[in-house]
Amino acid sequence: MRFFTATVLGLLAPSLCAATNITTPSRLDLPSGFKPPQVFKNTNLVRNTNLEKSYVRETINVVVENVDKQPQNDYYIPFPAEVFDRVGGFEVRDKKAPEKGRFDVDYTEAVSSDGNQYFVVHLPEPLDPKSQITLGISYSVLSSLSPLPATIGQADKQYLTYSFSAYMPSAYTTVTQKTKLKFPSTNVPDYTTTDGLKSGSDPERKGVTYTYGPYDTANVAPGTEHQITVRYEFTKPVITVNLLERDLEVSHWGGNLATEERYWLRNNGSQLTKQFSRVEWTFSNYQQAPTSAVRELTYPLLPGSVDPYFIDDIGNVSTSRYRPSVGRSAGSLELKPRYPIFGGWNYSFRIGWNNDLASFLRRAAGVDSDSYVLKAPLIEGPKMAEGIQYERVIVRVVLPEGAHNVRFEIIEGTNSNGLPGVNHIHAHLSSLKTYMDTLGRTTLTLEVDSLTDEARDSQFVVTYDHSMFDALRKPFTIFVGLFTVFVAAWGIGKIDVSIKKR
Amino acid sequence: MSLNEVWEAASATPFIPLIGKDSQFSVGFNLLLLALVTATLFVLNQSLLGIVSLGFPAALAFGFGAVFMICAVGVYV
Repeated sequence: MRFFTATVLGLLAPSLCAATNITTPSRLDLPSGFKPPQVFKNTNLVRNTNLEKSYVRETINVVVENVDKQPQNDYYIPFPAEVFDRVGGFEVRDKKAPEKGRFDVDYTEAVSSDGNQYFVVHLPEPLDPKSQITLGISYSVLSSLSPLPATIGQADKQYLTYSFSAYMPSAYTTVTQKTKLKFPSTNVPDYTTTDGLKSGSDPERKGVTYTYGPYDTANVAPGTEHQITVRYEFTKPVITVNLLERDLEVSHWGGNLATEERYWLRNNGSQLTKQFSRVEWTFSNYQQAPTSAVRELTYPLLPGSVDPYFIDDIGNVSTSRYRPSVGRSAGSLELKPRYPIFGGWNYSFRIGWNNDLASFLRRAAGVDSDSYVLKAPLIEGPKMAEGIQYERVIVRVVLPEGAHNVRFEIIEGTNSNGLPGVNHIHAHLSSLKTYMDTLGRTTLTLEVDSLTDEARDSQFVVTYDHSMFDALRKPFTIFVGLFTVFVAAWGIGKIDVSIKKR
Repeated sequence: MSLNEVWEAASATPFIPLIGKDSQFSVGFNLLLLALVTATLFVLNQSLLGIVSLGFPAALAFGFGAVFMICAVGVYV
């Protein structure tokens, strides 16, 4: 396991509780006309594009060779500027040693000459001349699927289109390459067939997998494109969360971890041709027929989760059901929105629940220690077969009042956790004043753009110091207030206001 | 030492709250009741001795009682 640690704030003195220390991910500014130095060659490239969910998930395995005379360690991966910000969970590892963790990646600003933006992968050790390394590159591209036709009937099948280049956009010459597409079903009515790129039929079809290539592209200039478009059935909603705000509130006095999530959700699938028919919907719903609408969201909750609620703009939504966890099994919160969410429709709601804090918080260095360590999921979210894409996620970890010396870390495993590197997560500390607070609660805010439900299992660890004095601040404040009233009452009672001769 | 290693090393010391969730209402209610009684007694006989013997414990009981009661009703402060 490899871990990234980021110290956000050294010491947060009570008088500085409102102070913030913002860590904003920066982007490299490349000069106009920049071209990545041609020091590498892609010997073999295999791109696996998964279209089973409502977003595109790509996994690229590429054998990279240093063709320069000097050792090299910066590998550039280009994306068009309009796509770059929709690339989520970008990660590069050594394919042959994934346990060594992800490589450091820098993001660049758009280069004005070619309109590309680059991910700059820093190899942990410079690659010697004529040496090779196999890179495993994985990422998701959000909002890259378009419904065609754009409008359909309420019970019609939905089709999505996806366009890409048969030649993988690369900054370097690629000797051979191929692209494997995996569809959700065998119903693929339209797809581009190439002519003259290779001998034999292209693509090769095998069940739900279509393979474009292999192509011999040793003499093809880097950046050359050959447009491919596929259209396939996807009669499921394209669930897009424009914004997810997730709050985790730690209460030492209550022994509770309160979670609340606020969703601004939209279905980016085909819109309805005609007006919505409740009768037709009831009929198809009774048959449990496939639909492009969001009928229900299933949200697994951790064992021990209690007091769930589901509220939207109107109020409590009673069409939800909670199946509590039994033993160590997960609970399940089944959320049925107030109305089915068809293509182009929006729905915003909020859910929340409580957990015992003992499962998430430990004393870092013994029973008498003032240092605490918190471990919790960064993102949970509904678990849907069609997947969910999140355009922006803001996670607030609300620590007890007076917590200081806050540090956080995102846990990395041998596989991708669906998150970008910790250097590309905005993190800052602030103060949040709510019930019974005098200074405000120390709040760690983590902001991530372009995520998918691949990040569901990601976890973070936060450590902080919280002394006995910090803990006693709330009751002490109330005590001082009431005691002052008593002293004032006694003092005022001693004043002689009677009318008499002095 | 990574923070996850700190978490693993602390496996023997989970956080135990001062008062468990099940007892918060009874503890909070009793402390608030005690605060009410002692505050009433103080109001009936306001003296410097009363501040120390009744006002002080009343304020203390109210401080802790209010915290536990607000937790018991679901606002975990």
